[in-house]
Amino acid sequence: MFGIPFVALATGASLALTPTREWRIRPVGALRYAGYFIQQSVLGGIDVSMRAIKPSLPIDPLILRYRMRLVPEYARVLFADTVSLLPGTLSSGFEDDTMTLHVLDCELDVEQSLRDVEERVADVFGLDLSVGGGELAAIDGGAVGEYR
Amino acid sequence: MIGWISLALIAVGAFFFLAGSTGVLRFPDVYTRLHALTKADNLGLGFVVLGLSLRADSWIVVLKMLLIWSLVIVAGATASHLVAEAARMSNVPPWRKRS
Repeated sequence: MFGIPFVALATGASLALTPTREWRIRPVGALRYAGYFIQQSVLGGIDVSMRAIKPSLPIDPLILRYRMRLVPEYARVLFADTVSLLPGTLSSGFEDDTMTLHVLDCELDVEQSLRDVEERVADVFGLDLSVGGGELAAIDGGAVGEYR
Repeated sequence: MIGWISLALIAVGAFFFLAGSTGVLRFPDVYTRLHALTKADNLGLGFVVLGLSLRADSWIVVLKMLLIWSLVIVAGATASHLVAEAARMSNVPPWRKRS
């Protein structure tokens, strides 16, 4: 009960302090995203749980870099958080237009799933993805997909 | 009947929490452990919330639990991103399978 006025105050303050609300959420895209997200996070949870309890511990990790097609920061944040709940991928930093990620098993087709997530996120905000990118990138002068 | 379904859902949730914790213990480095923590716990909490929702007295309680779940998802995913980034910044080497 004591909390209610403070929640209202904090919400008001954060809305007032946000410079301009540049993003718009498209309800249909958000629904499609929600369905995809629930399905993928269930698969992600099952995948990592099975790897954790199998006696052979079937993991073969790798660090990769992905050149993003999403430009706005808010979209990249949603993208990174989604990627971390997908089977076998964990976002671990941004550099310029690329996202670094840790992959639990190098056998996974990471590039295709990242492209899928990006399209779902773009669908939520109504963004255009034709700016280029959308592929794995080399890490620090190495070959694409090479471990650092 | 609903009581049993609810119990089963909570048990499934507990299984994923257990599996996630097993991963934290068995996986070899910080990056792989973050995988286990974020993904398994998110799913485990989801099942626990579903199970408890069946027992809830009012819709407000269900909405509150769904809100808690979504906040845990966002906080967990963001925190794991930041921990992994910090580990990379301080040059913690990722574990690799010997080939």
